[in-house]
Amino acid sequence: MKAHRRDFLKSAAAASGVVALGAPAALGQAKPRVVVIGGGPGGATAAKYIARDSKGAVEVILVEPAKQFVTCFHSNLYLGGFKSMQEITHSYDALASKYGVQLAHQAAAAIDRDKKQVRLADGVTIGYDRLVVSPGIDLKYDSVPGWGKAHEDTMPHAWKAGPQTVLLKARLDAVPDGGVIVMIAPPNPYRCPPGPYERVSMMAHALKKAGKTKAKIVVIDPKKTFSKQGLFQEGWERHYPGMVEWMAPDIHSGLKAVDPASNTVETGFETYKHCALVNVIPAQTAGKIALDAGLADASGFCPIDPSNMRSAMDANIHVLGDASIAGDMPKSAFSANSQAKVAALMIRGELVKSPTFPARYSNTCWSLIDTDDTVKVGGRYEAKDGKIAAVETFVSKTGETPQLRKETQAENMGWYSGITADMFG
Amino acid sequence: MNQQRRLRPTRWCLPVAAAVLSSFVACVEHAAAADPAFGEYLSSECVTCHRSDGQDKGIPPIVGWPADQFVAVLQSYKTKDRTNPVMQTIAGRLSDDEMAALAAYYATLKPAN
Ligand SMILES: Cc1cc2nc3c(=O)[nH]c(=O)nc-3n(C[C@H](O)[C@H](O)[C@H](O)COP(=O)(O)OP(=O)(O)OC[C@H]3O[C@@H](n4cnc5c(N)ncnc54)[C@H](O)[C@@H]3O)c2cc1C
Repeated sequence: MKAHRRDFLKSAAAASGVVALGAPAALGQAKPRVVVIGGGPGGATAAKYIARDSKGAVEVILVEPAKQFVTCFHSNLYLGGFKSMQEITHSYDALASKYGVQLAHQAAAAIDRDKKQVRLADGVTIGYDRLVVSPGIDLKYDSVPGWGKAHEDTMPHAWKAGPQTVLLKARLDAVPDGGVIVMIAPPNPYRCPPGPYERVSMMAHALKKAGKTKAKIVVIDPKKTFSKQGLFQEGWERHYPGMVEWMAPDIHSGLKAVDPASNTVETGFETYKHCALVNVIPAQTAGKIALDAGLADASGFCPIDPSNMRSAMDANIHVLGDASIAGDMPKSAFSANSQAKVAALMIRGELVKSPTFPARYSNTCWSLIDTDDTVKVGGRYEAKDGKIAAVETFVSKTGETPQLRKETQAENMGWYSGITADMFG
Repeated sequence: MNQQRRLRPTRWCLPVAAAVLSSFVACVEHAAAADPAFGEYLSSECVTCHRSDGQDKGIPPIVGWPADQFVAVLQSYKTKDRTNPVMQTIAGRLSDDEMAALAAYYATLKPAN
C-alpha cells in the first residue's frame, strides 16, 4: 500500500506534476508530507519554499482548484488600462517542474483535524503531517442590505480576481460621461487596506483618459478614515478635480440598502438612482474551508502564533495570508508571501530538523494614483507581546516630487515582477 | 534624488559619507568569514522585490555584486544616508554579520543569460 502510493505519486509527479491521491500520510512513511490549501501568495510561496529548500526530503502537495492564478494585486492597474489580464495571470507549472510540488487542481472540501486528512472535492482524502491553510478571504454576501451572491454580476465586487475583474472593467468602460459610479467600501478588517482607494484612482484615470471628466465616483465608506487617506485625497484633487466624492459615515449617515434591479444605492443622506456602475466590496471573513475546520475565532479570521504562523487552534496547521490574524500586518500579497517564508522555515525545521531563525516579517503596499504618481506604505514586523507587531513603519508624504513618485512607480512594477517570480518562477 | 539608479555598485562611492566608510572597513572583515548559506536564507526577504535571476524590471538587480560594495550600500541605508524607506527598514534590522552573509551569498550569484 505504502510503496504503491509512493510509486504512484512519483510517477504522476514526474509525468505532469499533477497528482491523483490515495492513502494518508502514515507513520513510518519515507517522507513527511505537507499539504497546502490555496495557491495564492501565501500557499504558492509556502509550497515552493518547502519543496525547494528541503530538496526532496519533504513531499509537498498543493491543493488549488484554479489552473492559473489571477493576482488581485495589480488588478486595479488592469482597470486603469496599465496592464492586461495576461500580465496578471500566472501558471503553476514551474512549481511542479522545477521544485517537484505535486498539484491537485481541486478544492479542498473538508479538513479532518483528528485524522490529519484533507478531503478533496472528488472525495479522495490525503493525509498530512503538516497542513498549510491559505485560502484567502470569503465575502460576506449578507453584509450589504439588498445585495447578495445572485447580484454579483449586476453589482460586481471584483475583490477576487478573474471574471469579476473583467466584468468590472467592461462596466467601467461603458460608463457614459456624466454617469455616476458608487463604490460601497468594506469595513475593517479586509483584504488590501489601500485597495478600494487605488481602485477609485484607477477608475478616475480610465474615465479621464476617455474624456469623461463629468463622470463622478462616490465612495460610501463605513470607516471614518482609510489607508493613505491624505495621499489619495491629495492625488484625487490634483488629477481628478470634482470627480471623486468620498463620504465618511457621518456624512452619508449609513448605507440603507442597494437595489440591483434599478442600480440604486440608498444612504441616510441621499439616494443614488440608476447608477452607471455600483461596485460593492462587502465585509469579509477567512476562506470558508478555514471557518469550517474551526480555525477561526469570533472575528471570522484565524488566530496564529506570531513566532511561526502556527494556528492557535491546531499545532499541525499553519494559517497564512488574508485568512490569518496577523496583528499589525495588513492583508496583502506582500504580507502573505513574507509569512509563508517564515512558516516554510519553521515547518522544515520541525519535519527535517533544518535550522530555524527568529521570525521576521515585512510588507510594502504601493498604490498607483495616476500615471507615474505612486505612493507606498510599509514596515517591518516581529513577534512581540503575543502578536505580529510593527517595529518600524513608513509612508509616502504629501507634496513629494514628481521624480520620486515616478521612481516609486518603477519600484511598484519591479516588486510585482519580483514577487510573482518568487511565488511561481 | 535618483535613489534607485544610485544603487549600482559602480557608483556607490560618490555619495557615500565618511560615517559609512568607517563601518565599511569593519564589514569587509566580516565578509571574509561570512556564511553564504545563512545569506541564502536571509535573501528570501530580498527576492520579493529583487529578482533572483538578476533581471531589472524596475527594481535594481543585486546579484553578482562584490561583497564589500554590497555591505557598504546596506550600511548606508541603515544609517539613512540613502533615502529609500523600504530599504532603510530592511537594512535597519540587519546585523553586520547578516549583511556580510547576504553579501557573500549574492556575490556567488550570476545574472541569468
Ligand atoms: C483590488 C486589490 C488590489 C490589491 N493590491 C495589492 C497590492 O498592490 N499589493 C499587495 O501586496 N496586495 C494587494 N492585494 C491583496 C492581495 O491580493 C491579497 O492579500 C493576497 O492575494 C492574499 O494571499 P492569500 O494567499 O492569503 O490568498 P489568495 O490570494 O486569495 O489565494 C487563496 C487561494 O486559495 C484558493 N482556495 C480557496 N479555498 C480553497 C479550498 N477550499 N481548496 C483549495 N483552494 C482554495 C483560492 O482559489 C485562491 O487561489 C490586493 C487585493 C485586491 C482585491
